[in-house]
Amino acid sequence: MRLASAELVDSREILPGQWLQAYHAPDLAVGSRAGQFVHVRTGDFSGLVLRRPFSLNTTDPATGIVTLHFRVVGRGTEWFTRLRPGDAIDLLGPLGRPFEVDPRSQHLLLIAGGLGIAGVRMLADEAIRAGRQVTLLFGAASARDVYPSSLLPDEVEYVVATDDGSLGHHGFVTELVTGYEAWADQAFACGPTPMLAALAQLVAGRRDRLGVAKLGRKRGGGKTVAAGSPAARRKSFLQVSMEQNMGCAVGACLGCVVMTTSGTPQRVCREGPVFAYDEIAWEGGW
Amino acid sequence: MKPKRRAMTSTARPVAGKRASVPREPRRSEGARSPALATTRPRPAVGPRASEAPAVVEIAPSQVDLRVDLGRGLILPNPIMVASGTFGYGIEYGDVVDVDRLGGICCKGTTLKPRIGNPPPRVTETPGGMLNSIGLQNPGVDAVIEKYARTWATWRTPVIVNVAGESVHEYVEVARRLDGVPGVAGIELNISCPNVGAGGLQFAIDAGAAGEVTAAVRRATDLPLLVKLSPNVADIRPIARAIADAGADALTAINTLSGIALSPRRDRPLLGNIYGGLSGPALKPVALRIVYEAVQAVNIPVVAIGGVTELNDVLDFLAVGAVAVQVGTAIFADPTVPIRLADELAATCARQGMLAYRELIATALPAAKGRPSSKGVEYRP
Repeated sequence: MRLASAELVDSREILPGQWLQAYHAPDLAVGSRAGQFVHVRTGDFSGLVLRRPFSLNTTDPATGIVTLHFRVVGRGTEWFTRLRPGDAIDLLGPLGRPFEVDPRSQHLLLIAGGLGIAGVRMLADEAIRAGRQVTLLFGAASARDVYPSSLLPDEVEYVVATDDGSLGHHGFVTELVTGYEAWADQAFACGPTPMLAALAQLVAGRRDRLGVAKLGRKRGGGKTVAAGSPAARRKSFLQVSMEQNMGCAVGACLGCVVMTTSGTPQRVCREGPVFAYDEIAWEGGW
Repeated sequence: MKPKRRAMTSTARPVAGKRASVPREPRRSEGARSPALATTRPRPAVGPRASEAPAVVEIAPSQVDLRVDLGRGLILPNPIMVASGTFGYGIEYGDVVDVDRLGGICCKGTTLKPRIGNPPPRVTETPGGMLNSIGLQNPGVDAVIEKYARTWATWRTPVIVNVAGESVHEYVEVARRLDGVPGVAGIELNISCPNVGAGGLQFAIDAGAAGEVTAAVRRATDLPLLVKLSPNVADIRPIARAIADAGADALTAINTLSGIALSPRRDRPLLGNIYGGLSGPALKPVALRIVYEAVQAVNIPVVAIGGVTELNDVLDFLAVGAVAVQVGTAIFADPTVPIRLADELAATCARQGMLAYRELIATALPAAKGRPSSKGVEYRP
């Protein structure tokens, strides 16, 4: 984690209200991992006192370019759209814990709901670099909100679902998952909390559906690992990237917690944003 | 009446008198002063020239005495502290902040037993500030001591443990367990957390209860004892007096102001706890008022907190009589703010020829009986 200055190189509205910005931030481009995020300061402290957390969308260590993908939801995100190439911003990062891919996993299923694509986009790059096969299931409200396939690596199989049926599968993206659960070694998801909760429920029944529930040791079954540890997450079939209103983003303010099944709230910024699906208490539990 | 402050100003009175009265206005407008005006109309008695006059010997910022005595042996290396709840237990910011350059660290509110806190969302931004309702999530005093005290003991910066509770007994028990622990430099009694159901605020809004809990903790520990005031009261003065009379070494003013925010669809309050505490620059005028009132009501030092973001905020709080300030919300935007403010304060003092920042304290208070006047009579016709 460090404070770094980043210069805007390119800024585009790739979808209605959604922006993709490229920053030159060599310090961050090296050593960041998929699933981590940056906490970005807006220019106007008198009105906007908090930084904004953004997923690292892509990083390129060779050029030092980091891209951020965000939707304009308020005055802070609107401020970023007014930046021009050459303007500098202040980034704190990389923050949080990354996705953990089991070395034996060859088939990765990525599931993104809307802007959730920004949370898993970088994992596609990492996986393809490591020679893995990647299928991306993407859900949006309608065709106009669908992430352009030109922004994805060619190797990714891209499957789209829209709520209104204007493109691809007519319905929720979660309905596509069962078709891939036998193929996938691991799944990684980012999106609205109801979508993640539905996925978690789906995955909980996966072993029974596939008839592998009693087949004995797989993925190091016998050993016990501490819940929440990188090793435990690596063994989980589904990892989710959670979102929460955030204050400091370094674990000091305890503003961004989610309830976990252990009964202890965990910080999205520090223990997350990536969690194993069975760590999260989806019903709340406060 | 105010032995502490009198002692401070009396040593520097001959120069402080001049400085306090004359440059107070120009200090603000220094940036706007045009050099042409200064040369065409020389007015030797006005403006920064007056304050530069005694500084025949150049003072380096490192020579300026920034130490703060909060009583009972608690000496801060500089008057810029970090506020409870915004800096965790001091270790979270890692290499981004050099903790040894802070004036003091108030750690996250600590209770007797572990608390899981309030349901999310717990924070949201508001105009010029933010609301939080963490609900005192913490692992309990024993875990805090075990996990962090050893690290704290290696720091030059004093760590003050913010203590919260639901009953006098809980406050006393936490204080007792902190007593004598190496690395714990003091206690900040949080009797003003607006985000917990039972206890919390009730001690801060009633002078009798505030005095009672302060006195009970005072009997339980010899640690330096700060008590944090709530702005959610009609009149702070009787409460401040009760706390001071009960044996507190210093006051901290203020905690957050209670408020709510709505969800984007306006179908419910946004925060999981409904109510949150407002902090940030929006709070500063309220904090300034309460510090101003509290300083005149008690004879113990007051540590100011509320929207401190830049040097002018620090100077304002010192001017109304605070001896130190805490930086809170501003840390979220820029974690290096506290250290920069300490540097800027030293530089400002050096530039004005001050050997100690104490000369900046209480310049805006009304002249009280028995207090050396800071009005510059020598400039009157």
